[in-house]
Amino acid sequence: MAPPRPPDRFPAGPRYRSYLLFGMGSALMLPLGFELLCALWALASGDAAWREFQAGLRHPLRIAGHAVAGVWLTWVALRFFRLFPKTQPFRLGPFRRPPDWLLVGGLYGVFAAASLALGLWLAGRIGGLG
Amino acid sequence: MAEHTKIIAVTRFDPERDDAPRSQEYEVPVQEDWKVLEALNYIKDHLDPTLSHRWSCRMAVCGSCGMNVNGEPKLTCREPLSNYGERVEVAPLANFPVVRDLVVELEGFLEKLGALKPWIMLAKQRAPEEGATRQSPAELADFKQFSMCINCMLCYAACPVVANEPDFLGPAALATAHRYNLDSRDEGAAQRAEIMRGEGGVFSCSYANECAEVCPKNVDPAGAIQQAKLANVLSWARSFVVRRRAAS
Amino acid sequence: MDSVLHYDIVIVGGGAAGLRAAIAVAEADPQLRVALVSKVYPMRSHTVSAEGGAAAVARADDSLEAHAYDTVKGSDFLGDQPVIQYFVERAPEELVRLEHWGCPWSRNDDGTVATRAFGGMTTKRTWFATDKVGFHILHTLFQTSLRYERIERLDEHFVTKLLVQDGRCGGVAALDIRSGETRAVLGRAVILATGGGGRAWPFTTNGAIKTGDGMALAYRAGLALKDMEFVQYHPTGLPGTGILITEAARGEGGHLKNAEGERFLITRDYGVGQKAELGPRDMISRAITQEIAAGRGVSLPGKTGEFAHLDLRHLGAAKIDSRLPFVRELARTYIGVDPVHEPIPVRPVLHYMMGGVDTDIDGATQIAGLYAAGETACVSLNGANRLGSNSLTECLVFGARSGAHSAAHVREADAPPEAALVESARAAEAELEALRGRQGGGETVAQLRDAMTRAMEEGTGVYREQAGMRRAAAQIAELGGRFAQLRLQDGSRVFNTEITAALELRNLLDVAAAVTVAAAERRESRGAHACSDYPERNDGEYLHHSLVRLGDSGPVFDKKPVELGIWEPEERKY
Repeated sequence: MAPPRPPDRFPAGPRYRSYLLFGMGSALMLPLGFELLCALWALASGDAAWREFQAGLRHPLRIAGHAVAGVWLTWVALRFFRLFPKTQPFRLGPFRRPPDWLLVGGLYGVFAAASLALGLWLAGRIGGLG
Repeated sequence: MAEHTKIIAVTRFDPERDDAPRSQEYEVPVQEDWKVLEALNYIKDHLDPTLSHRWSCRMAVCGSCGMNVNGEPKLTCREPLSNYGERVEVAPLANFPVVRDLVVELEGFLEKLGALKPWIMLAKQRAPEEGATRQSPAELADFKQFSMCINCMLCYAACPVVANEPDFLGPAALATAHRYNLDSRDEGAAQRAEIMRGEGGVFSCSYANECAEVCPKNVDPAGAIQQAKLANVLSWARSFVVRRRAAS
Repeated sequence: MDSVLHYDIVIVGGGAAGLRAAIAVAEADPQLRVALVSKVYPMRSHTVSAEGGAAAVARADDSLEAHAYDTVKGSDFLGDQPVIQYFVERAPEELVRLEHWGCPWSRNDDGTVATRAFGGMTTKRTWFATDKVGFHILHTLFQTSLRYERIERLDEHFVTKLLVQDGRCGGVAALDIRSGETRAVLGRAVILATGGGGRAWPFTTNGAIKTGDGMALAYRAGLALKDMEFVQYHPTGLPGTGILITEAARGEGGHLKNAEGERFLITRDYGVGQKAELGPRDMISRAITQEIAAGRGVSLPGKTGEFAHLDLRHLGAAKIDSRLPFVRELARTYIGVDPVHEPIPVRPVLHYMMGGVDTDIDGATQIAGLYAAGETACVSLNGANRLGSNSLTECLVFGARSGAHSAAHVREADAPPEAALVESARAAEAELEALRGRQGGGETVAQLRDAMTRAMEEGTGVYREQAGMRRAAAQIAELGGRFAQLRLQDGSRVFNTEITAALELRNLLDVAAAVTVAAAERRESRGAHACSDYPERNDGEYLHHSLVRLGDSGPVFDKKPVELGIWEPEERKY
C-alpha cells in the first residue's frame, strides 16, 4: 500500500487558507494575553506603574499590533457567525431552532450594537481625558 | 451528442510494480453530459483494462466512487466532466492509504464506525409484538439529516484533522454516532459518551468545516460534531451539578 | 491454498437479505460464527439503490388476505400461494423489527409509520423513508450487524466456487480482491444472497455489481434456476443511464403522458383500468412501449430512442421535496430536468429478476446446507411479475427464515470432509491463476460483455418473440465458448478488477443462458414474459415453473408445478 497523502490543496486551497488563518490567529492571542497580565500587574503596583503602562501603549508598534488584533478578532467573529447556526441543536425542549438567517442576523445585530456602544463609550472616555 | 477529447490524468499505483504512485494520461473522447466516472469506465473498457477503481450504483447513493478530482474530493458518478477544463486529474482520496490506483483502504473507517456503537441501544429490547415505536415527524427531523451519510469518505479526504491525527474518529463516523444519540428511540448516548468525548473524539475537531463543504449529501458532519460537543459539555455539566447536589 | 478459514455459517452477499440472514443466525444462536462474505463493503450493496418502499399490512382498513391476493394477481398466478401467505403474515413483523433497529421510516402526524400507494396494491401498504428506502434499510441493517461480534466480515472477497461434497455444501472458495489470495471459507451451511443479474442487459437500473453471482454459483453446482424468463422492466428509467425513478413518484400522484400530453393509461385500454399509473409494472412498461411504437413517444435531443413523460408538476415543490427529494435530485443531476417545472423523460428499463435459485419456503436448495434468499433466490413469491415494494420485504422475510433454518441445520449437520473441500478450493484457485493475465488472442472483457448485453436486449426485451429468443439463446451459448479465449492484460494480484470483471462476465453468461433457454420454452404471455407471437396466457399448458439446469452439454430445461391454494387462475384485469 502507498501511504496516505495529505489533502491535495492543503494548505493553499482557498477554504483551507481561511481555516489556517483562523487557526494561526491564536498566535496573536499569546502576546495579547501577556499584555493583559502586564496590565493587571501594573494596576496592582500603583498609579506610577499604571501610567507607565498606559504610556507604553502609545508606541506605534503597539498600536499597529492592536489594530491587527482588532481586524483579526473581527474576522474570527464573522467566520464564527457564519458557522454558528449549525452548531446548535435542532431543538431545545419544545422549540425548534430558529432559521439560520435569524440566528446569523441576531449575531450581527448584537455585534453591531456592542461595537457601537463600545465606540461611543471609548469616544466619551477619550473625550473626557482630553 | 457532441464529442471532444479531454486528457484524463489518472494516478496509477500497483504495489507489485511501483515504488510510489505515478500519473498516467489518457486521451478520452468524452460526451457533453458525461460524469467523471464515465471517463474512467471508458478508459477501463477501451484504453487500459489494468486500471482499478471502485464504482457501482452510478446514482450517488452507494458511496463507492469517491476520488480526488483536480484536488477536490468528489463523488465521480455525480461530478460532471464539463465542470473541468481540457485536463482533469483524478487521484485516490487523500488521507487514506492507497491499495492500488484509485482504490483506497477503508478498514480504519469501519473500525472507527463500529467502535462508536452505531445501533439502537435500549435498557430493555423491544419485542416485535409491541409494534412500531411512535416517533413524531419532529422527532424524526431531529436526526434525519445525519442519517443520510453514504460513507463515501469524501469528508475524511478533506479533513485537515484526519490528516494530522490518524486516531481522529472522523466526520462520518461521529455524525452517525450523533444521529443515534438524537434518535428518540435510542437510550445509548451514555454508552457512546466515553469514546465520543475521549481521545480522537469530537473535541479533536477544530471546525475547519471542510467535511460539510465536500459532503455530496448535505449531511453536514461538521454541524453534527459541534452539536455533539455542546451536548457532551452540557451533559458533563449536568452530571457535575447532580453529583454536587447528591453530595450536599 | 493460501488459507483455510473455519466458520459455522457462510453468507455470501451483504445486502438486505444477507445482512438480515446474518442477524437471524446471531439471534437464533449467539455462539455460531458467521462469515459475511461480500465482493464489496456491505453498505455498497445494491439494496442501497431501492427507492420507493417496502410492503407490509399496517392500516386498519387493510388485510393480510388483500396483500396476498394482490401479490398472487400481480404474479399472474405463477406465485406459490403458501409462500405468499407466509410472506404477507411475516412482513409486518419484519418491518417493525427494522423500526426497532432504527430505520427512519417516514411518519404520520400521530407518530405512526406512514404508508404510500404502490403499483398493483389495492391500498396504501408501502412503508417508506422518503424515497431512499433501500439506502436506509441497508445502513440500518449494516450498522445493527456491527453489534454482533460473531458476525465476521470478509469484505471485498469474491466467491468463485461453492464447495460441495457428497451432496452437502461445506463452504466457498473466495478470492480476496485486495491481496489476490484465494481462501477456502468453510462452514456447515452457506446462504447465497447476492442479488440479481441485471447487468446482463445494457439498459438497467442495476448497479455494476449486479452480476448474478449467486445464481451462477448454484447453477454451476448443478442446481436448477427457476422462472428465469421473467425479468421485470421498470416503467420509469432515466434516458441514457437507466437510473431508476421510483414508482413512488406515481404512488404520490405522478402522471405518465405521451408526446401529445395525453394520460394514455386512462385514455386507452392497456388493461390497468381505474388503477391507471398504479397498475402493475409489466402492464405499464408494455403500455409505454406501445405508445412509443405508435409514434407517440417523446424524443430528446442527443438521446437515442423515445420516451414517455412522467409529470410531477401538479404535486408542487413542497410535496416533491418532502416525499420525493431523491427523485428531484436524480432528475436534476442525471438528465438536467427539475420535476417541479418540467416532466421527466422516462422509458422502461430492466430492473429485477423474478427468477433465481430454486428454493423451498425455508430458502433451502437441493444441496444440503445450501440456502438462497432475496433476488438471488426464487422462492416463488413473485411468480411472473413482482409487485413494487414486495422485494425489500422479501429480502427481510426470507433472509430471516433462511438464517434461522441454516442455524438449525448446522446444529445437526456435520461438515463434509475438510480435505476434499480444500482440494476443491485449490482447483478453483488454479482455475483463477490460469485466468490472471492470460494472453489469449481473443476479445477483451468489455467487448464480450457488450456482445452479451446486445443479444439480451434484442432477445429478451419488454416484448419477445420466439425467433428472437432462440437466436439470443444461441448467441449466448456461442459467447460462452468465446469466453475461453478471453484476453486479459492485468497480471497483478492486488485489486485486479479485470479478473473480477471476467468472473462477473462468466456469471452473467450463465444467467443469460438460463434466461434465454427458459424464455424460448414458454410459448405464452404471462406477467413480464410478453410474447408477440403468443399473446395469450395459456394455463392449460404453461401454468408451471420453468427450471434450467446445467447438463453435460449445456442448459437442460425442466418444469415444476405451481402451488395454488386459495385462488384459482382468473383473467388478470385491473
